[in-house]
Amino acid sequence: MIEARELSKRYGELRAVDEVSFTVERGEVVGFLGPNGAGKTTTMRMITGFLPPSDGTAVIDGADIFAQPLDARRAVGYLPETPPVYPEMDVSGYLRFVASLHDVPRRERREAVDRAIERCGLSEVRRRVIGQLSKGYKQRVGIAQAIVHSPPVLVLDEPTVGLDPIQIGEIRQLISELASPRDGESAHTVILSTHILPEVEAICRRVILINRGRKVLDQPLAELTAGGTRLEEVFARETSRDEAPAGEASA
Amino acid sequence: MRHVGTIAGREIRSLFVSPVAYVVLTLWAVLGAVFFLSSLAQFLEGIARLQQFRAFDQLREVNLNHDLIEPFFGTMWILFIFSIPAVTMGLFTSEKQNRTEELLLTSPVTIWEIVIGKYLAVAAFVTLLVGLVAFFPGLLFVYGDPELGRTLTGLLGLFLVSLTYAAIGSFASSITSNQIIAFFIGLVILMVSLILPLAAELGAASGFLGSENLMADLLRWMATAEHVQPLLEGLVDTRNLVYFAVMAGSFLLLTKAAVESVRWR
Ligand SMILES: Nc1ncnc2c1ncn2[C@@H]1O[C@H](COP(=O)(O)OP(=O)(O)O)[C@@H](O)[C@H]1O
Ligand SMILES: [Mg+2]
Repeated sequence: MIEARELSKRYGELRAVDEVSFTVERGEVVGFLGPNGAGKTTTMRMITGFLPPSDGTAVIDGADIFAQPLDARRAVGYLPETPPVYPEMDVSGYLRFVASLHDVPRRERREAVDRAIERCGLSEVRRRVIGQLSKGYKQRVGIAQAIVHSPPVLVLDEPTVGLDPIQIGEIRQLISELASPRDGESAHTVILSTHILPEVEAICRRVILINRGRKVLDQPLAELTAGGTRLEEVFARETSRDEAPAGEASA
Repeated sequence: MRHVGTIAGREIRSLFVSPVAYVVLTLWAVLGAVFFLSSLAQFLEGIARLQQFRAFDQLREVNLNHDLIEPFFGTMWILFIFSIPAVTMGLFTSEKQNRTEELLLTSPVTIWEIVIGKYLAVAAFVTLLVGLVAFFPGLLFVYGDPELGRTLTGLLGLFLVSLTYAAIGSFASSITSNQIIAFFIGLVILMVSLILPLAAELGAASGFLGSENLMADLLRWMATAEHVQPLLEGLVDTRNLVYFAVMAGSFLLLTKAAVESVRWR
């Protein structure tokens, strides 16, 4: 569903992402884990077609991001680090706009918007202006815009950052639901980035760990924590290991 | 190009709920009325003076279009230099502020669709501004007999110049993420386009632009005044129409390049 092939992004001397390859199969929920500045956002921006890679490419649902950029982008629902909302629009008007940007046929738009509103628990605020919503609701609107066109692939960048504990629980619940098939819809393939370990344990079945732009680990969660190893230990071990050789690359 | 309508529609709705649009529309109506009335007062004063001196030959020469409508259009044209950058300043800067740029650029939408959609929204707004300008000479048709063709040509001139300014304002908005800076960049470009003939004369006179004067000719050609003035006076010349198309097209091209450059960074 998602195939990253030696993706690299350089900012001058800095290798923000350095030859990262991975595959995510249909229906998988993968946690993209790494400390701040590891290159998670940059990788997601390349997969979603916002930033062109300096090297390498990615294939989304069979469409290469360079060769068939529109098909690749059509296959993705993307929640950036900050939900990309227009504060002056109301929730349903905004979702209608996103649906039409993503080529949901006019006849199906209302239904698509209703479905996204219902799944994200936005029914009470559907006529409210987005600028007046709480941070938790804005985040839900952000997720709703990512799923409104029923994309096969969901890319979520730190979906719970800055929320309070109750909101965090609700958003995690929502993401878990999106990952399981429902109403004859197929399950979304989800890749979500985070630097919060419990988040990965709560939602994901596989972990891709990146550090200083390089992939350092790619394993099913069950394997990692087999034998009572805690994810914290793995994280600490993997993110401290190549400190010395990568030292000059830090900026 | 099927997303153009989607982009334009959203932009128009956002534009019309923004305080900027209301301030501009209100000021535009008020200033339009003020300058129309002052042009009218000057016109009547001129007639009174001619009558006082019994200058009947000159009195017969007095012309509603030449002596009233055209000076009024000239003033409104200058006011576009201030009002259009205010309308366009938020066009692209707000996408950066809201982080919605990331939504637009990861949707299956081309950059041309984004640029053209937004430009059409501003075009709709400036059409409204030109319509407000048209209202005042419209009154003269009730009480007098201005020449219709000449008046309409003047309005066409205002319309074309405002569309060109809208493209320049869009460009200004695309190269910064700050509305106020976008406003001033737009304002400066428009003012420069106004004083270009002067710059051309100075450059030619001082020999700075070389003996060929190709540069001076180009600068003179780029100046807006030479192409607006004839239209305001009722003269349609294809070369002037080409000027507006070339200027608007070039700035939209630059806008597209600026939006695209997010991807290189
Ligand atoms: N536009 C940019 N210009 C220069 N450096 C950047 C830019 N964006 C990100 N970086 C750098 O790239 C590295 C990876 O950033 P990012 O992908 O945002 O990390 P993460 O999302 O994992 O926290 C960081 O060192 C960051 O400072
Ligand atoms: Mg990040």
